[in-house]
Amino acid sequence: MNHKTQKIFYNILFYLGAAVLVVIVTVPLYWMISTSLKSKGALMALPIQWIPKKPTLNSYKKVFTLFPFARAMFNSAFITVMYVGITIISASMAAFAIAKIRFKGANFIFALYLTSMMIPVQITLIPMFIIMNKFSLINKYASVISPAIFKAFAIFLLVQNMRALPDDYLEAARIDGAGLFKIYRDIIMPMMVPTVATLAITTFMEAWNDYLWPLVMLSDKNKMTLTLALNTLNGQYDTEYNVLMAGSLISMVPIIIIYIIAQTQMKQGITVGGVKG
Amino acid sequence: MKRKTISLLTQVAIVATLLSGCGSANPDTAQTEAPTEKVTETEASKEAEPAAETTQETAEPITITYANFNASGGNEATLDSMYQAFHEQNPDITVEIETIAMDDYFTTLQTRIAGGTAPDCFEMNIENFAAYASKGILAELSEADTSSLNQTALSAFSYGGKQYALPENFSTVILVYNKDLFDQAGIDYPTSSWTREDVDKAAEAIRALGDNIYGIYQPVTYNEFYKVAAQYGGSLISEDGSKFTINSPENIAALQSMVDRVQKTNVQPTAEQMGGMGDWDLFESGRLGMIPTGIWCFNTFTEACDFAWDICVEPGQTQKATHFFANALVVNNDASDAAKVAAQKWISFLSSSDEAAKIRLDAGWDLPALSDMNALSSYLEITPPDNRKAVFESLDSLVLPPIITDYSQMSDIISNAVSKAASGESSPEEALNEAQKLCEEQITLQ
Amino acid sequence: MTKEKKKILQAIPFMLPSFIGMIIFSFLPIIMATALSMTDWSGLEKFTIHTIPDHFVGFQNYIQLLTREEFWSTLLHVLYYIVLYIPLGFLLSMVIALVLNTEKRFTGVMRVLFYIPVLTSWVAASLIWKWVLSSQYGVINSIIGVFGMKGPDWLTNKYWAMPGIVLASVWKDMGYYGLYIFGGLRGIDPTYYEAAKVDGAGKMWTLFSVTMPLLSPTLFYCLIMSLINAFQLFPQVQIMTEGGPNGATQVMVERIYTYAFSYFKMGYAAAYSWLLFVIILLLTLIQLKLQKVWVHYES
Repeated sequence: MNHKTQKIFYNILFYLGAAVLVVIVTVPLYWMISTSLKSKGALMALPIQWIPKKPTLNSYKKVFTLFPFARAMFNSAFITVMYVGITIISASMAAFAIAKIRFKGANFIFALYLTSMMIPVQITLIPMFIIMNKFSLINKYASVISPAIFKAFAIFLLVQNMRALPDDYLEAARIDGAGLFKIYRDIIMPMMVPTVATLAITTFMEAWNDYLWPLVMLSDKNKMTLTLALNTLNGQYDTEYNVLMAGSLISMVPIIIIYIIAQTQMKQGITVGGVKG
Repeated sequence: MKRKTISLLTQVAIVATLLSGCGSANPDTAQTEAPTEKVTETEASKEAEPAAETTQETAEPITITYANFNASGGNEATLDSMYQAFHEQNPDITVEIETIAMDDYFTTLQTRIAGGTAPDCFEMNIENFAAYASKGILAELSEADTSSLNQTALSAFSYGGKQYALPENFSTVILVYNKDLFDQAGIDYPTSSWTREDVDKAAEAIRALGDNIYGIYQPVTYNEFYKVAAQYGGSLISEDGSKFTINSPENIAALQSMVDRVQKTNVQPTAEQMGGMGDWDLFESGRLGMIPTGIWCFNTFTEACDFAWDICVEPGQTQKATHFFANALVVNNDASDAAKVAAQKWISFLSSSDEAAKIRLDAGWDLPALSDMNALSSYLEITPPDNRKAVFESLDSLVLPPIITDYSQMSDIISNAVSKAASGESSPEEALNEAQKLCEEQITLQ
Repeated sequence: MTKEKKKILQAIPFMLPSFIGMIIFSFLPIIMATALSMTDWSGLEKFTIHTIPDHFVGFQNYIQLLTREEFWSTLLHVLYYIVLYIPLGFLLSMVIALVLNTEKRFTGVMRVLFYIPVLTSWVAASLIWKWVLSSQYGVINSIIGVFGMKGPDWLTNKYWAMPGIVLASVWKDMGYYGLYIFGGLRGIDPTYYEAAKVDGAGKMWTLFSVTMPLLSPTLFYCLIMSLINAFQLFPQVQIMTEGGPNGATQVMVERIYTYAFSYFKMGYAAAYSWLLFVIILLLTLIQLKLQKVWVHYES
């Protein structure tokens, strides 16, 4: 009996907690959608219009007509996919060396990597630009993609997770005569799938929403990303919140799709890990 | 053990430098290559030829780059049609236009200047002009015909006696009012003979209409403050430009009158009452009687307001004073000579040609900075507002912000101080004393 | 060949890409920024080989920074943010992770839902929260109003502005850390729970004696990352309050950005970032020392 009341108690606790969280998360999102459907005069009407009195799709029309939407979408997709790919390959290799090969000095380099996250990007903007200029990368996709090769936070994330993997597999594979690269590719990486999926989403989002760096590097209209294009909707004097929200919602769609796809990967990864653990 | 780590590091570093294709890791050398790497392939091939002395007839085809912020937010197509008109007249000049939103325009520009890849010509605002001119970034415009341009605007963009920029457009600030609210309150509409006291009376009558209805909104910030100070006969910097006069009695009286509207009569909403919303949004919702704002509001208000509104010259106090804002066009001093010549043609076309002026007016973008007001007559025919000629009347009492190199820092210090006064945290006098002290401490006037 | 040497040789190909990247995209810019911090360079001129010697001023920027009130007040504002953000963020992330881990109905939907704020750009998130927190037109205060109370003037009052920014930041970040912690929970070997059950441990007891220690490497990552991110707090402040009211939410990175790109004092801004760097580094080092006390690695 006692056990049963306890169970009911935890059930109530669960649904209560879940409900509160869902409200916290969805109310601002609802507001975003509702704002995007309002006309400009209705933005500041009193009493607040929870449901727009005269809903309109004008904001969305504006977003689609103001700039070459398909081109910007392609640029964003291309840059982002390359960026995510490079980040994952480079970071997972480094993490493998640091967490699993554990060479002398690994911790020193790891610490060096971590420290690099602590310098605010605002101050390295001009130095980075000068370096990119030296490599003649200005106005090329490569200028926006290449920094993916070193993402300290990605290495940090992967190292933390790889360290938690037991070394037994590694030793077993070594005894079987497998090379390090084979161990990295066929044993460690499959176990890392959930973390890599998390990393992929985070990186995808970072690259997709990145603004200042691509703005500074890419001046060619044909290379403009979606985030850059959306920002030209901002006038010198006036911010049109409804259009801005419509634009943000549109640019979120691809990220959400990617997330849902990555979700299935995470689940698979979890089952793989489960079999092994 | 340690030595091994170090040798590893050096090995990797050597490989890194080899791979990256440059013998030295020193980024300084970047600047020597910068001009040729700058723009596009066309540009590079052009620079290979000695194009310095080209005249129009024998001109080689050239591509120049142009960056601007003014077209963002809906006028990119307008700018493009101006370019089409220009390119028809000058088929040998191709202009690559880049439009960047205002918020990040100057960050981007500055980064490219530091990297040596700034565009050949670009847009500049009044606030940043002095800083850019003083650093030798801007080319002197010796070839441009400035005779048809508005002389006030032109004079705002000379530095050390030299013309570095052509004003491309201008805006003034006028008083916009909600006619319906004036009717409801049963009071007369504002006229050009009003003073700030008349505004206060009207604002109080409108405020009395309801809890959520306000009389006026004039943000207590640097931009409004230097103008109201001028309406009281004050100024921020002494006439010879040698010292700050931020805490003069005239300025204190001006700030007092601005703060009273918030704190004493509350005809103007406090920051809390605004709830973080924009002043235009408040006006558009029909709950604000008057708002001194720029003429760039006309299109937006026409679209968004479902009540009658009109404008009038902004009332002053001991004298009238109205804001004058202008954007200007400049040429990069680092550009090749040929690019400089082509860029001057392009910016002259944008700022003073009849074609560009017509396109600009037809699109309802903003006003070209021409001295001949007849050219602008088509502008007067558009309504609302009915009293559109007030825009030109306001030109009789223009006040320019002080043109100093540390402009942004000064305006931030003053904005910070006056907003403290607006929230009642300090008295107007204390606030301005503090601003005076900080400005003297942190800014050296030339 | 010794074993150590062999390991290093084996590691080189794996380390190479990221190491080159670090040299180019991190090390060199930082060296340049360091040199700039000792100059009075404006940043509004072409950078040449002469820039640094021509503008060299030694430690003048550092001295000015440390003697002006501004640096200390912005530091204080960031610390105020951290003190509120970390506990609240940790609590909500933990709740999210535990809710998801129950594998009840709807958890699949919730996994997507909780992550949507993370997927929003900072610009959009800050704008939404500016509305949500608006004292007159905002959702939060109208909900508080339903209970007959008057909500605070979130972003316009100097004591409430920072908590407002914290709420927005927690909203955006909790899904990220929540899902990350959830991943950590899933990785825990179920035999530990069975053992705890055999010992007759209650749910709360299990949480603190089994789950938390095994989760500690995950939590450690969250802590370090949120500290580093908190010190670099910027876009949300820029959009929601612009440092106001009356400078109450002025933070370090905002000042750095303003000095560099608005006041044209690149040298001063570089010195500012160096001081910020030193503070973050010190705190991280303390965390790394402390981790020996509470973080348990399996291997």
